Amino acid sequence: MTEYMIEVDEVSKTFGEVTAVDGVSLYVPRGTVTGLLGHNGAGKTTLVNVLSTVLPVTSGSAKVAGFDVTAQAAEVRRRIGLTGQFAAVDELLTGHENLVLIARLLGASGKEARQRADELLEIFDLTDAAHRKAKTYSGGMKRRLDLASSLIGHPQVIFLDEPTTGLDPIARTGLWEVVENLVADGTTVLLTTQYLDEADRLADSITVLSEGSVVASGTAAELKAQVGSRTVAVKVADRGDTRLALLALTEAGLHPVHDEERHTISAPATASTDLAVAVRALDAAHIEVAELALTEPTLDDVYLNLNAAPAA
Amino acid sequence: MTTTINTVEEHLKPQPATEPRWQGAQFLTQVAVMTGRSLKALKDPRMILMAMFQPLIMLTLFSQVFKSMTQTPAFQAQYPGVDYINFLLPAILMTTGVQAAMWSGGGLANDLKNGVLNRFRAMPVSMLSVLIGRSLYDVVRNAIQLSVLAIAATVVLGYRGSLTGTVAAIALSLFVGWGVSWLFLALATWLRNVEVMQMVGMMAIFPLMFASSAYVPLDGLPGWLRVVAQVNPLSYAVDAGRGLALGTAELAPFLNAAGIAAAFAVIGMVFAARGIRKP
Repeated sequence: MTEYMIEVDEVSKTFGEVTAVDGVSLYVPRGTVTGLLGHNGAGKTTLVNVLSTVLPVTSGSAKVAGFDVTAQAAEVRRRIGLTGQFAAVDELLTGHENLVLIARLLGASGKEARQRADELLEIFDLTDAAHRKAKTYSGGMKRRLDLASSLIGHPQVIFLDEPTTGLDPIARTGLWEVVENLVADGTTVLLTTQYLDEADRLADSITVLSEGSVVASGTAAELKAQVGSRTVAVKVADRGDTRLALLALTEAGLHPVHDEERHTISAPATASTDLAVAVRALDAAHIEVAELALTEPTLDDVYLNLNAAPAA
Repeated sequence: MTTTINTVEEHLKPQPATEPRWQGAQFLTQVAVMTGRSLKALKDPRMILMAMFQPLIMLTLFSQVFKSMTQTPAFQAQYPGVDYINFLLPAILMTTGVQAAMWSGGGLANDLKNGVLNRFRAMPVSMLSVLIGRSLYDVVRNAIQLSVLAIAATVVLGYRGSLTGTVAAIALSLFVGWGVSWLFLALATWLRNVEVMQMVGMMAIFPLMFASSAYVPLDGLPGWLRVVAQVNPLSYAVDAGRGLALGTAELAPFLNAAGIAAAFAVIGMVFAARGIRKP
């Protein structure tokens, strides 16, 4: 039986008249990453704040690491790490002081706290900057210190709220590698992001939020399958052959459309043999092909498709 | 980054058991750690110097401008043969203590913008420890300021109050300032704005300072102002501090001042502890 480290059951959160999270259910198995995808205001951060016991739930119930976020908040807090959208570090303290502070609050002795701080500074490549105030750190360094602070107590569940927003590509990749290492070691991660490639790369399962509700969920592949089919895309070498190619593909039973701007002919691929059908038809008509590809729908398609749909 | 991760990835591993490695610090440890965090601000003496400037100016100016006050019948009736500086310093100690309480609110409003506070809310940490740490830091800062004031008054302005009485007056001022600071801490957790906190502080403190027995004996005030000054809690503190410094201490104003400050502390604590949990 799967052990769920995050169990969200019909959770809603309202602020006065505004419903930020509306009846969300979500289950995250141990040692996996679930990506919460959604645009600004979709309710991602509110849901993370509810699950990390920062905000009380309005209705519904949620368990994290097996403990109820309302009734057993103290137990939950001992087992989670939270890296929010804005670096939760004390900029007036040095990197080392920040980590020692958090470790001491978690209950480490002074010596243990300093040891753990040194370990994490090394892992996150901050040893050289350890004794500089955090306000002198670059955005990427602050993020690393932030994540290091979240990992001090060896949390079983980590919440990452848009962890790579504002980071340069190298820092982003570095952070992804850290997350992948954590997951490989059995940590459970709930990640919010606006970046589809991030969810695609890190998340075992994706939940798409829109206006506080779940509008889709599944693996990246399942979500892609939900949206449209794959397409056969053809670029002919000689533009003069375009009409001929359209004719040949139509006779072969496909439904090609010509995109003048991109100089591409595309046809929805309904069967797996459609690519071979297209190749044979073009070859028989003696048309020289510059490019031929079977394209998968991207998560962008999923995202745009779902968000374009009116909220039910 | 990759290489370092691979060599030390052992350290990232969560503990195998469901029991976390640490259970969370005891409340007193939390308070000690939070106080230490706040006290780091003392490394930058500019804040203390800035906050000292105003009371030093007031002490110097008032001790000269209002010197002739000692000639008035009201003063001579209530404080025969007392130098104005001996009358003034205990009052300045009290008003400075209460002003420091106002600064506490601004300081907390500023600290609430610090990202690390958000982290504390998701940790096994009582947010009350953040507040207590902040208020203990204010007490330490205030103690330094009040001591400097008393020494400056003695050396430069010829203050000659009793030593133990003056120390006791400083202690009372610290307690009163601590109590009042909780009201401002509570306000800060709900308002969350440094500028607004400073405005509110000014509006609250200035009338309290002047409509009191701080600079003029009660009987020297015009009728309506005297009524206000008589019920002004700051007057109790001023009278108590003055009594201690001049060696004419009475119990009633002392108990009133301490009691009101303690009540403020309790009320403020309740609201501040609730307010600070809001992200």
